[in-house]
Amino acid sequence: MTRISSIPFLPSLSSLPSSSLAGMAVLATGGLCLIFASVFPWLVVFPEAWSLPMSEWIGVSLTWLFELIKPAVRLVSFVLEYPMAWMNKGLTTTPWQISIGAVTALGWYIGGWRMALLGFLGLGFVLVSGYWIEGMNTLALVGVSVPLALTIGGLTGIVAYEFARVRNVIQTFLDIMQTVPTFAYLTPLLLLFGFGPVVGLIASAIYASPPVARNVLLGLQRVDAEIKEAAIMSGSTRMQQLFLVELPAAKRQIMIGVNQSLMAALSMVIIAAVIGGFDDIGWEVLLTMRKAQFGESFLAGLVIVAFAILMDRMSARLIEEGARFDFRISMGIFAASVLAWLAGSEYLPGASEFALLDGVAERVDSGLGEFTAAQGARLDEIKNGAMFYGLLPLRIGLDEAVLPFTWGFQWDAGMSALLLGVAIAVALALAYRGRPLAGIGLVLAAGMLETGIANLPWPFVLAGASALGWVAGGRKLALYAFLMLAAVLISGLWERALLSLYLCGASVFACALVGGIIGLLCAVSPMAWRIVRPVCDMLQTIPLFVFLIPVLMFFQIGEFSAFLAICFYAIVPMVRYTRHGLVETPAELLEAAQACGSTRWQILRDIRAPYAAPTILLGLNQTILYAFAMLVIAALIGTTGLGQSIYLALGQADVGLGISAGAAMAILALVADRLVQGFARSRREALGL
Amino acid sequence: MKMRNFLLTAATAFSVAAFSVANVDAAELGDVDEPIRLAVNEWTGQHVSTQIAGRMLEAAGYDVEYVTAGMMNMWQAIADGDIHAVMEVWSSNVSDQYGVMLEAGKVEDLSDLGLDAREGFVYPLHVAELCPGLPAWEALRDCAAAFATAETLPQGRLLDYPADWGTPGADRVTGLELPFKAIPAGSEGALIAEMRASIEKKTPLLIVFWQPHWALAQYDVAWVDLPPGEAACYEDASWGPNPNAVNDCDFLPSRIYKAGWSGLKNKWPAAHEILTNYRLSAEDQQPMMGAVDVDGKSVEEVTEAWMAANESSWRPVVEAATR
Repeated sequence: MTRISSIPFLPSLSSLPSSSLAGMAVLATGGLCLIFASVFPWLVVFPEAWSLPMSEWIGVSLTWLFELIKPAVRLVSFVLEYPMAWMNKGLTTTPWQISIGAVTALGWYIGGWRMALLGFLGLGFVLVSGYWIEGMNTLALVGVSVPLALTIGGLTGIVAYEFARVRNVIQTFLDIMQTVPTFAYLTPLLLLFGFGPVVGLIASAIYASPPVARNVLLGLQRVDAEIKEAAIMSGSTRMQQLFLVELPAAKRQIMIGVNQSLMAALSMVIIAAVIGGFDDIGWEVLLTMRKAQFGESFLAGLVIVAFAILMDRMSARLIEEGARFDFRISMGIFAASVLAWLAGSEYLPGASEFALLDGVAERVDSGLGEFTAAQGARLDEIKNGAMFYGLLPLRIGLDEAVLPFTWGFQWDAGMSALLLGVAIAVALALAYRGRPLAGIGLVLAAGMLETGIANLPWPFVLAGASALGWVAGGRKLALYAFLMLAAVLISGLWERALLSLYLCGASVFACALVGGIIGLLCAVSPMAWRIVRPVCDMLQTIPLFVFLIPVLMFFQIGEFSAFLAICFYAIVPMVRYTRHGLVETPAELLEAAQACGSTRWQILRDIRAPYAAPTILLGLNQTILYAFAMLVIAALIGTTGLGQSIYLALGQADVGLGISAGAAMAILALVADRLVQGFARSRREALGL
Repeated sequence: MKMRNFLLTAATAFSVAAFSVANVDAAELGDVDEPIRLAVNEWTGQHVSTQIAGRMLEAAGYDVEYVTAGMMNMWQAIADGDIHAVMEVWSSNVSDQYGVMLEAGKVEDLSDLGLDAREGFVYPLHVAELCPGLPAWEALRDCAAAFATAETLPQGRLLDYPADWGTPGADRVTGLELPFKAIPAGSEGALIAEMRASIEKKTPLLIVFWQPHWALAQYDVAWVDLPPGEAACYEDASWGPNPNAVNDCDFLPSRIYKAGWSGLKNKWPAAHEILTNYRLSAEDQQPMMGAVDVDGKSVEEVTEAWMAANESSWRPVVEAATR
């Protein structure tokens, strides 16, 4: 800012806010690229000769490293096999009557009859689905990986708290652990740890430890200064302070981390099933998915949902230090289950002989087929509409997407000029009315729509991301965005990265719009929330593969299907955070507004919405991260882009490609994350929060 | 006399030699206390092939363990000896890692399984009405528009194998200069879902597919007659209908074989021999697949019944190796 205003030739520019200046710079870059694209083709397609063979370098150096540390790592995997085998043996050989009894008894103790009923019905469902043994195998994996994740995560959190100097490094590392797609690190784990359940175990421990680390750190930071001082004054050593005073004081926050860690481990266990080695639910889902049996794979997926809901509700209940219920009744329930086993094991079938729901699964499956048959033409219309008028122009631009086949006429240079001309005219009008930024944004949007995201010149993308960084968080963030994207550019993965960016961008946009509306609806009507909430729970915990089948049946392999699959998953945080933000407006503010005689709509628009903006932005942030996570899984329905590269690398055991494509994906996610967080922070500051 | 003597000696020598060959054939059992681990991959045909091999090993006196393993990701485990053998590997669909491991001598090719595979372009029967010239491949030139979709316009859409299985569809589209665009499927489930949807909705579909596969028993489909596949077609551009390109012909029959850990032979010599000589034909396998996937029987049930009924086809292999 200061530098620009010191230049005497630009007096009028210096009066503009810095955000508009950044926008102008992007606009100028875009314009230059547009003009010179035909002269210098390297502006549009980054020349291959300029990029570095990073995938190869990473592959070679990692293979060398792996050979070096393999013996030590194999020892770890050898040791871990023991607790794994014990846990597995314990869970699968315990009679089902006793397992259900124990969980019901625990449910009663921590939450009364509601929890007891939940426990009973949840495990009862697993039993009648016929997936008891597979379910117990999955639980065994979670049962070993979560304690591992708690230990690693807890220690990391404590180290980050104790040594302020390494805190930033650790936090960056946690970000990376959560944003690198899980498929990407399965390949190196497979090479390192050998085959079998241990790989899944390590993968889910890696994925499940960051939430623990973050919450331990946050909890310790939030311990009251008085409590800490009291501990110091009583003359305790640092270790005593930490373990006897500070950690117990942070218990609540830590338990939130434990809850999140459980959920993360459960979702990862399913993804790790791709490797095999363990006859668990994830494998079952994959087998049925390969046969395109939606009913069966949905049923297997629901077993995971049952586990997730049980773990989530019960561990959440443990966090609350509410009254505990009569332990004697718990003992009674447990004793009754043992009796049931002793008396009835001869009459009742064994654990995996229940398959009461097979008929239901088949009916769901054939229902899906009938629906597809009956609605085929309409489904095709929906798909074609979305492709022709939405996704295609976004990817390859109006100039290539508008054809006689699709829109009924051919796009030509005149139309491009007209579009840009109108956009510029409107922009000038907006600038005249004091909203230059909106005008610049409009011109940029028109330009991008004309070119298509996959065809954007790379200098424009770099300039655009840096400008967004500048506006959201100043020079540091601008530099961060620039350097990170430049790394992707020279790694030779740029084209695929743009395709990923396009698909994610389209999905995030749709999620923000639709999710925002649903969230708003749920905020206004508690009834709607009661219906939407369980759907959200299910979408977040069911193995994502399951949804690929109906989407494929309806809309075939292709981008629209991938787009929908991503939306299904990524819309949830948008709904949750929007509702949460809108509902949590302080009562004083609402009362004040009512006292002024505002209508309901005015309150929503002028009070609730601005107040909720930071929370909604956080939801958007989560939606972006979820969309990137789902992108890899969407590769199973044949998307192009980074997701496909990661999936290919897994099949070919190509460590270099897996890691570099995973890193590129993580970079895109991290940059998007930082940008949105930057905007959220400035909104919060503007609101004085 | 001399002559006769000579003949006699020769005959004796021959019979001794023949006897000793038989003797060499019967191998040591090796370490029977440790279980032999067989890979169970993602498809039913493989479950059947593996289960029969496992039962043969058990009949020879071995302990067998079945380990679920992703077909793409199992090679490291086989090279490390964590999994000892896999019974159905498709040459058209094998991880690059296999080649690397084979070269390094860490895994061993255990010879063909004996399934005749066929790969090619397949269409559901109702599609013949949309493109009357089928099954002749030349018909595809004129009715590409019938197969066109939003993503491929104005070209027709050919559903290719998932990208990690290679791009045979795209190669042939180029070789035969067909006005089609090959779309990779992403996964087998995606291929099946497309086939189901196409048959339910009566929509056009041209897909790269293979047999033996249960879906071919369940759905009515037909093969496109491509120019016959020959090795020359893949090397010599002038071969085939398109003088300027390779790949202008049908698929070469894909090799289906068994593979194992390179330590198998030393640790369990007889098992190595059984697995090497084990054969299973498509005529045997396909009905078993149907019994599992269409009739809902378990793999154990189906293979047990088959083994009881076809003792003559597998028992000699076990006996040759153990006796």
